[in-house]
Amino acid sequence: MRPLTPRRILAICGMLAAILFVVVVISLRVGAYPISMRDIVVTLYNGAVGNGDSSEFSQVIFGLRLPRIALGILVGAALSTSGAGFQALLRNPLADPYVLGVSSGAALGAMLSLIIAPHTVGAIQLAAFIGAAATIAAVYFLGRRGGQLDSATLLLAGIIAASFLSAIIIFLLTLVNGPGLRSMTFWLMGDLTAPPPTQNVLGWFGFLYFVFIVAAGAMYTTSSDLNLILTGEQEAGHLGVNVTRVKLVVYVAASLLTGLAVSVSGTIGYVGLLVPHVMRMLFGTDYRLLIPTSAIGGAIVIVLADTLGRTIVAPTELPVGAMTALAGAPVFIYLMRRRIR
Amino acid sequence: MAPSEARRRFFLMALTLACGVFACSLRDARAAETHLQQSATAPAPTSPDSAAQTAANKRATKLVTDETGRHMAIPLNVQRVVSLAPNLTEMIYALGLDAKLAGDTTYCDIPPAAKEKPHVGAPQDPSLEAIVALHPDLVLATTSINRAQTADALLKIGVPVYTSNPHTMAGMLSATATMADLLGESEQGAKLVAELQQRLDTLHAALQDRPMTHVLFVVWEDPLISIGQNTFIADALRWAGAESIIVASQNWPQVSMEEVVRLQPEYIVLTSDHLTAETHERVNNLRDRPTWSELRAVKLGHVVMASDEFTRPAPGLVDAIESLAHELHPEAFSTSAAEFAPNFPQRIVGAGPAPAGPARTTANAPAFAQFASARLRMEASICAR
Repeated sequence: MRPLTPRRILAICGMLAAILFVVVVISLRVGAYPISMRDIVVTLYNGAVGNGDSSEFSQVIFGLRLPRIALGILVGAALSTSGAGFQALLRNPLADPYVLGVSSGAALGAMLSLIIAPHTVGAIQLAAFIGAAATIAAVYFLGRRGGQLDSATLLLAGIIAASFLSAIIIFLLTLVNGPGLRSMTFWLMGDLTAPPPTQNVLGWFGFLYFVFIVAAGAMYTTSSDLNLILTGEQEAGHLGVNVTRVKLVVYVAASLLTGLAVSVSGTIGYVGLLVPHVMRMLFGTDYRLLIPTSAIGGAIVIVLADTLGRTIVAPTELPVGAMTALAGAPVFIYLMRRRIR
Repeated sequence: MAPSEARRRFFLMALTLACGVFACSLRDARAAETHLQQSATAPAPTSPDSAAQTAANKRATKLVTDETGRHMAIPLNVQRVVSLAPNLTEMIYALGLDAKLAGDTTYCDIPPAAKEKPHVGAPQDPSLEAIVALHPDLVLATTSINRAQTADALLKIGVPVYTSNPHTMAGMLSATATMADLLGESEQGAKLVAELQQRLDTLHAALQDRPMTHVLFVVWEDPLISIGQNTFIADALRWAGAESIIVASQNWPQVSMEEVVRLQPEYIVLTSDHLTAETHERVNNLRDRPTWSELRAVKLGHVVMASDEFTRPAPGLVDAIESLAHELHPEAFSTSAAEFAPNFPQRIVGAGPAPAGPARTTANAPAFAQFASARLRMEASICAR
């Protein structure tokens, strides 16, 4: 393997970003509503210079396709980054963003908001995030051993919290009726179609991306320390790495990213588990490269999966979670077998 | 680790910078967006490139609040409607307004002509783009099968969505009248509603001195799911002179067999699976199943099949109520049931030659069955996690 220079990181990320761009353009172009490439460019230009109109083009582009793409990029990037973080923190290749019960906590929060305040706009997202944050805190305190985060104890605490919360969710599911239950079903399957809870769509996405950049950035600052920790916690400690602090940062950042993704889109499986592994197989295990490539790779996968999901069986849509599992597993097996050979 | 420290500091600085730039651009963009919002919600489109006809249609609007409390402006002269639920599609056809129906869902199969309309997907997750592509003046939805998110998303991009929320027959009738109003055919609606109301009143007059029959309404057999008190089915049963033995505040409660044995319903009401051939099998199945076969109602052959209209809060539900009333209270009606209602569901008890009802070949289950299966799928997905 060639040495990892900043230039190489930039080159690889640039290449992935180009792929993402192509995928985004395809996603903007295809759909049940036919729009030509020229009309897309004109509508985008008019919207960007503040000369928006109320034409159906602008409804479809700004009201439907762009928000969905923006949400897909955010969720994919957040889940994959978080998955990469958890795999290092728990030193377990099977770790995914949901392994520590964050998704169950978020689901319980969403569920409660549907029961208590079913018509409040934005309540689901807020409650899901509070649920995720509470679970993160609880698992953190349960997962400590001698004042330190212990990977095995943390994993056990997370799994137990997840199954306990799932039991409560199943109990509550028998209490909710009609529309709430339907919303919940789609939420649990992963859903990018829910409209932003405010009129200020740009501000909403600005907020989400800001949280993502802070959390992913914090995790990135630990990447060279993570490389050392992966060779062994004691060895890393001898080399001057503050293991406790690094683990805390990764834990909080990865959980925050998961909570962010889950609260806006529900639980979308596979991406957080598979994308970091695929990126490892393609570009090596160095976390300085793995974190950004996972983020972009996750965005590519979700946008692509969602685009396929809403076109291959049109006008009916396939949930994005089903698409990621359907396409992700075979690709993963192919890469894994190729690597073994 | 000095280099690492320096990098961290650099990163933080870059981050702060990026946030600042972002915040500035956000402010401009926000101004642009407000502009966009305003022009989108204005009743008359200001853009000159809209088709002249659309502009003419959209010029005159009225402000309406739907049954879920959402406010919207609806054109006075609605020409293109998209229905997001089978019962709404059926209502539109019953009102004779199908020329205005621009599209419906893949579940809409009554009347058969509804299957020929352009589809926008399934009621729970229609393609929003497909809806917009049909250029509707108005989209109709219902809380009994659609998701709130669908209506919210469409309203957000300026497509009016009227959501009805019927829990009773009265609610169904008023929804029918409202729908006719929205489509500019109030007279047609009043006529249909008066006719349906009159039929219900006739039923009520015939049945009011008779005791209610206690029935178990089976939504789903495995697991056994029945109906709650607040469903339109419970209300429809009352009009048919029957009362559900299950008392539950949930809409679709899962019921234990023990409870059924304890309550001993006089009749068991199954819902048709569309295929007439299956009905005998289903009754025989009940006779073969351990606990079911011991039920008094099953031993006496008191098992009836309600038509699948019973599961849709639409005008056809009145037919289904009349049929069930004749089935449960034959002695209350002077004319024989078969003469009264031509599409009478076959009586399974006698097991004579089955009258050839209109066999529906649709593969789609009724709304609540979809709904019940969604619940099961969901529970399964939670258990798996």
